[in-house]
Amino acid sequence: MRLADARALVPDLLTAAAEPQADRRMVEAIANWCDRYTPWVAIDPLGAALADDGDATAACSAGGFGGDAGLLLDVTGCAHLFGSGEAGERALLADLTERLSRHDLAVRAAMADTAGAAWALARFAERQADLFCPPHGHRDALAGLPVEGLRVEAAVIDTFRKLGLRRIGDLYPLPRAPLVRRFGTAPLERLDQALGTVAEPIEPRRPAPAFRTRMAFAEPIGRPEDIAAATSRLLAALCRQFETAGVGARRLEIALYRVDGSVDRTAIGTSRPNRDNPRLMKLFEEKLGELDPGFGVELVILAAPEVETWSGAQDALPDTDTGPVAALAADPRAEEATIDLADRLALRLGAGNVVRLLPRPSHLPERVQVAAGAAQAAVAGLWRRMAGLKGARPTRLLQRPEPVDVTAFVPDDPPSVFHWRRHAHRIVRAEGPERIADEWWRPRPDGSRPPANSEPPFRDYYRVEDDDGGRFWLFRDGPYRAAGDGRPSARWFLHGFCA
Amino acid sequence: MPVISPHAFIPPAAPLAAANDAAAPIPATLRETVRRLERAHSARRAGQQAVPLGVPDIDALLPGGLLTGALHEIEAGPTPSGRIAPHDGAATGFAAHLLGRFAATRAGTLLWCRRDNGPSGHSSDAPPYAPALAAWFDPARLLVVTVRRDEDLFWAMEEGLRCPGLAAVLGETRAADPTAGRRLSLAAEKSGLPALLLRTQPAPAQAVCTTRWRVASAASRSTPGLTDIGAPRWRLELRRNRFGTPSIDEIPSWLLEWNDEAHSLSVVPQAVGGSTRESARPGLARPGFGQRRPPAAGARLAG
Repeated sequence: MRLADARALVPDLLTAAAEPQADRRMVEAIANWCDRYTPWVAIDPLGAALADDGDATAACSAGGFGGDAGLLLDVTGCAHLFGSGEAGERALLADLTERLSRHDLAVRAAMADTAGAAWALARFAERQADLFCPPHGHRDALAGLPVEGLRVEAAVIDTFRKLGLRRIGDLYPLPRAPLVRRFGTAPLERLDQALGTVAEPIEPRRPAPAFRTRMAFAEPIGRPEDIAAATSRLLAALCRQFETAGVGARRLEIALYRVDGSVDRTAIGTSRPNRDNPRLMKLFEEKLGELDPGFGVELVILAAPEVETWSGAQDALPDTDTGPVAALAADPRAEEATIDLADRLALRLGAGNVVRLLPRPSHLPERVQVAAGAAQAAVAGLWRRMAGLKGARPTRLLQRPEPVDVTAFVPDDPPSVFHWRRHAHRIVRAEGPERIADEWWRPRPDGSRPPANSEPPFRDYYRVEDDDGGRFWLFRDGPYRAAGDGRPSARWFLHGFCA
Repeated sequence: MPVISPHAFIPPAAPLAAANDAAAPIPATLRETVRRLERAHSARRAGQQAVPLGVPDIDALLPGGLLTGALHEIEAGPTPSGRIAPHDGAATGFAAHLLGRFAATRAGTLLWCRRDNGPSGHSSDAPPYAPALAAWFDPARLLVVTVRRDEDLFWAMEEGLRCPGLAAVLGETRAADPTAGRRLSLAAEKSGLPALLLRTQPAPAQAVCTTRWRVASAASRSTPGLTDIGAPRWRLELRRNRFGTPSIDEIPSWLLEWNDEAHSLSVVPQAVGGSTRESARPGLARPGFGQRRPPAAGARLAG
């Protein structure tokens, strides 16, 4: 119906522009809020008015037969927080409905053994008492519901109705083969999913953490000390879980559920598995200041999305060839303090900015040095042994070699003058070349492999000293080519600064 | 020494002259030695340890070496032509040498904090390169921290100085912040860890550091008859020293050579004296390139 027609029928009709993007954000906010009950929260893909980012008008009708927007929650193993057994499940459902209604949302929530049954009950149950379906009761509960509850297309529903199949229960006794021949597999699959004979997993929006603790408050809290105390107690509980499972946390996430329904989160990371309560708490103390309790916090959830097998406090391998340093053997406590320092620095500066340098067996200078996490150190003495095999290297290596203009008397000689950043360097001494060829056994950056039997590209490195005493590391990219044979002559680059 | 002068209330010109008269008979060198002894003693009492540089000439000016628990500054100096290179390998090399000396006396991680100018900065980034640093210390002990702002750099250094698992902390920046310098100095004193500030550009002098060095590349010596590059040579100046303040006219200066095989630093004896004066004012007396080389120097002596 057009808007003009509707206005003709109802003159004082209230209208508002459709805002699918805003609707989507709203549904996501509610889904975030529902994380308080279970980590397994999914937005119902059949719900209407759920615009994906992009075409708004098409997205409005994407659901089509889904009715209003919906959320699917897998509360398996979560209801015990509200009471034992069936009573807990009822309490959870009542709590969810009541809290969402308090935010002025029109909500209907149902609970059943399968997602399909809960979906149908939430939309088509006639009595309030039917919304909660007791365990194993979903087959009977579904039987009385209209066939629209099957989550199939409107055309199929129409045909069902013409055939006199009005209730889902009418489909139970029918032979399956003729149904499939007539309607395809979709209606029967939906029926099986609703009845639980076919699995229908709920895909959570974010990976469900294996370790999770929560703390709800009778009265909302807001003072930073209270939040820190709650974090500390949750952390203690989580660390006990870690000890039982033999793991340590690599990443911890804390979420504050505020009274106004919004959620604030922050996370910490560690460079090796950690389950030491005071040390984790110290990391959290730096982050808790960033959290905004708003009007008050009614629930705090601490989760560990990343855990690793606990390796314990490892003893360093005794190193033999470092001489006097070996006598001052690494104190394990000092080593732990270093790891803590690295974690603290990484928390503020970003994990990629606090690194150790590991050697890599490679000939290319820029590939030799790899950045690694703070917890992995190279074997003592390995760098020195590797450096002994190579020629002289610069103390600083440019991340990107910079092109320079050179003048050379004889083509294959080191240059006599090079210009770098508008300054001429007259070369007095030079050493080289050291020829470093490309590693043909490695695929190129674009993924292709170098052709067989071709000479790999190479660089000729020279160490030069200018008349000011500055020492540089230059290279010529490829062989020298005389001008005039049609190909561009080889270019020179500055790659580093020697001591 | 609390001596109350009877002339305390007369105009300031007179007592100053009187003090100068009284001090004149004592040789300046003796005063210097006494002051050095006193300060070295107080430093040792405070639990600071002297780590020798490995060059006897330099260690003699210091209380046996560089103190741990103190802030030392290293800045890249201008080349003989007065130009400052955007990246200087020599200052990095000298800083690595100091780190190596500290690493040899104490187990633990070496923290190297550096500022990344980012893609928007003019100068491209040239991080320290471990295969070359291996000559001075084991790069496996290095923890490299990259920051975007100077506040973060000083914060990271201070955090490092408080950590018992470290052997030394080095910060690489262009900024000169007296407050941060004082904080670092205090943190170093408290923990007994050495702190190094590496400046790739000359910056205004800070009063808080214990020693301040200026390092510039110097021409190396080729094998006679060839044009190969010899052992790296650095022109080193001690611009500030708490154990005997150098005056502006007599900044101690050395020409050092790094021997990569023996892993040692040594002073190159120079045929021509007065090189300290030259390097104190590089703009005025610009030595030509060949002059530093022994044949040329010999020729000048003969002439």
